[in-house]
Amino acid sequence: MSDERRVVNPVARISLIAVYAVLCLAATGRSVYQISTKFSEAPLPYAISAVSAVLYGVIALALWRGWRRTAVIGSAVELAGVLLVGTLGYVESSWWPDETVWTGFGSAYGWVPLVLPILALVALLRARRVEADAR
Amino acid sequence: MDFYAVIAYPAVLIVSGALVVVGLAVLISGRGHRLLKAVVTAAWIATAVHLITVVVALLSGNDAGVVLTLGYLLASVALLPLLGIGRLGEPPAPGETVDPDRPVLRPDQIMRLDAIAAIIIGIAIAVVAWRVAVIMGAA
Repeated sequence: MSDERRVVNPVARISLIAVYAVLCLAATGRSVYQISTKFSEAPLPYAISAVSAVLYGVIALALWRGWRRTAVIGSAVELAGVLLVGTLGYVESSWWPDETVWTGFGSAYGWVPLVLPILALVALLRARRVEADAR
Repeated sequence: MDFYAVIAYPAVLIVSGALVVVGLAVLISGRGHRLLKAVVTAAWIATAVHLITVVVALLSGNDAGVVLTLGYLLASVALLPLLGIGRLGEPPAPGETVDPDRPVLRPDQIMRLDAIAAIIIGIAIAVVAWRVAVIMGAA
């Protein structure tokens, strides 16, 4: 086992994987249904839901495989996406004929899409700091 | 449909609530892992009964959206293996090939992990069951 994998708290790591897997499942189901039945009604929101589903899957895989750089970048992109889509939903509501996973900062999912990348970034960056201190 | 509305759907909600409550209790107290495992078994049974009941209702002429309903049912089944995810952290058996990506956890860590998974999955299963009930016209 590499040092990189060892310094991430294993309970936090597997918990994050579980939550990302659930979100991946939810976003995939939602986007597959929306894209296959009514994509032309709201292409931007449905495409963003599909992107979020892929992102959640990539982050879960990266956390499991110990690809920390990928997990950090993915979590940062996810956080930026939630903040951007959430803000634009209020500022330019005409752009969003239907909701995405990130609409209202993830309010339809109990704001988990907003909180989760913050938790993931804290865990990953703390692990990197611990590793740097150990050198 | 009556069996679904009166028994199967409430049973899933009750088991989901039990997962959350027992998961929280185990997380806080650090005890009760066996009780949590029993509730996890109950969750598998309740979800299976729920799935069979909904499929029977669909086959007997309920006009709910079949694709959406089956999608949610598949999601509820896909969630179940995440219960007891702590087993991933159990030490490898003698002679077993060791996966370098798999963390090996202490028993107390496995218990905490199972508790956290129970809370997450309990909420997710309840939401999925509620969505199915809305589609089926039972909620």
